[in-house]
Amino acid sequence: MKKQTSLILALTLFVGAMIFSLFIGKYPLTLQQLLAGDSMQQTVFLTLRLPRTLIAGLGGFALGTAGFVFQTVFRNPLAAPDMIGVSSGASAGAAFAILFLPASAMSVTLSAFAGGLLAVLLALMLASLASGKDHGSIVLAGIAVHSIAQTVLMLLKLTADPEKQLASIEYWIMGSLNAITLRQIPFYCIVCILGLLGIFLLHRQILLLSVEESEARMLGVAVGKLRLLILILATLVVASVISLTGIISFIGLLAPHIARLITRDNRLSTLLLSGLFGGLLLTVSDILARSTAASELPVSVFTSLLGAPFLLYLIIKKSDNPSKLR
Amino acid sequence: MGNETQTQVPVLQAMHIEAGYGRRRVLTDVSFALEGGTLTALLGANGCGKTTLLKVLCRQLPYAGDCMLTGQALHTLSVRELARQISYIPQRTGIAISLPVLDVVLMGFNPVLGILEHPSKQQRQQALEALRTVGMDACAEQDYLTLSEGQKQLCILARAMIEHSVLLLLDEPESALDFPHRHAMMRLLCQMIEGTDKAALISLHDPSLALNYCRQILLLKDGVCIGSLRPDKNPLSDMQRVLSAIYGPVHLTAVGENGTRQLVMLPAENENGGYYAAHNPYFSARR
Repeated sequence: MKKQTSLILALTLFVGAMIFSLFIGKYPLTLQQLLAGDSMQQTVFLTLRLPRTLIAGLGGFALGTAGFVFQTVFRNPLAAPDMIGVSSGASAGAAFAILFLPASAMSVTLSAFAGGLLAVLLALMLASLASGKDHGSIVLAGIAVHSIAQTVLMLLKLTADPEKQLASIEYWIMGSLNAITLRQIPFYCIVCILGLLGIFLLHRQILLLSVEESEARMLGVAVGKLRLLILILATLVVASVISLTGIISFIGLLAPHIARLITRDNRLSTLLLSGLFGGLLLTVSDILARSTAASELPVSVFTSLLGAPFLLYLIIKKSDNPSKLR
Repeated sequence: MGNETQTQVPVLQAMHIEAGYGRRRVLTDVSFALEGGTLTALLGANGCGKTTLLKVLCRQLPYAGDCMLTGQALHTLSVRELARQISYIPQRTGIAISLPVLDVVLMGFNPVLGILEHPSKQQRQQALEALRTVGMDACAEQDYLTLSEGQKQLCILARAMIEHSVLLLLDEPESALDFPHRHAMMRLLCQMIEGTDKAALISLHDPSLALNYCRQILLLKDGVCIGSLRPDKNPLSDMQRVLSAIYGPVHLTAVGENGTRQLVMLPAENENGGYYAAHNPYFSARR
């Protein structure tokens, strides 16, 4: 079957890119030396390449999956994970840690994680005050929270020491898989995997949320509660990734569209494909980010570079009906 | 009507329903009963509150008055209970993403499935069966969004079939259908309802569909239920009078041979040559 072949192909490419990523970088690694027990090789492999590759793969997978969830729940093909404030909240959180917390990678990621969650919870709380309580009010509340977080970020930047702190804030926002260490990974991986598990288990419910609200309610869907649960799951997934990597653009928007282009529906295989393409995109972008120039480039440069032309292609190809999630 | 004694509890009993949007009251006093096995039409001019009444019955709008669904107060039901007992077919369905037709029909099983549960093989078979009944089984794997509006309606009707709910609410389901599909849909609804303990309330634009397929007709005018008709029992002259109160002067005739009786409603003639003449100079000039 076509769908199965594309799933197998995507999985192969995904795993292939990850293996490739393990052996690409400033320090040349070979399988023979690694297996022979070369200690330098093993250190580089375990402390640099493995965490980096893991997070590229898992992170991309998570962003792609979350993108599918946001687009479906908001019934909007342009919805992306940062729509309700995750990324701006995480940026403000990271900036706060860089300025005020004892300097360590751990404090920055934790603060970013907390900032992202806080922003989304604030948006959801504000939306619950609205009388309509539809997804439109969540989007509006998200926009409001986004601008609040941006303002906080701006104020933090103003007070930052321009030599060191401002630079590291900017660098964090640009996004990179450079600073990830093995020690940081477990907590975020567990949160991310648990969130993903929830999303895959609730796939049928996520599709029900794409039905117009009153109709969904007559199908027995407790729309408000279910949407809250699913948005929180998706936010946990995204926050756990971007608190490690910084902002990564386009993957959440792009991966689900590529998946739908192949399957032409929104069944479980499409959700899985969204994840696989997300992982593939981020892994490839990260390989390019650390191998094209003498110094490492922000990974978002490549996700955008790969993403923007594809988005244009989608717009041109689907111009007959761009509003539908085909 | 009203003081007939019922031997069984009606599927739905509404008493003095009041509802509206914000401060604007659309329904001021609506009382009626829907009995098992009866297909009931809801007729009224645009803006008289047909859709509002259906929204009240789906609990999408707050209301005052009493509404009993099979003897239970409507407002005490949980979302899932409500979904199990009432199926609602909106004017246009709001499915915004590509899904195979079969998956859209299978959504009808949601009220009886656990949150992590998936439809069983048997349920898939039932969904296909329902699609066959509405003549859409060939499209089971087609993308729902690529269907015509009429095909979508049939699909949602198939979804309502598998829900097996006791009350079916339809909001102008005929508006997107062509002539043969309108009649096919009404026939399907009759099959679904007649002789069962289910009831259906269907708001219609076309009075002739109501007169020829429905056992009961509720007439809504300016937010008040001004009466109910039984097309198979009431004399033509009575029905003509009540329908005229809603649609302006109309003329009702019965046609048919070999024992079939069909009702035709047209604007009444007046001395200038009929309703059209008053509005259409070409028509009157010809006369």
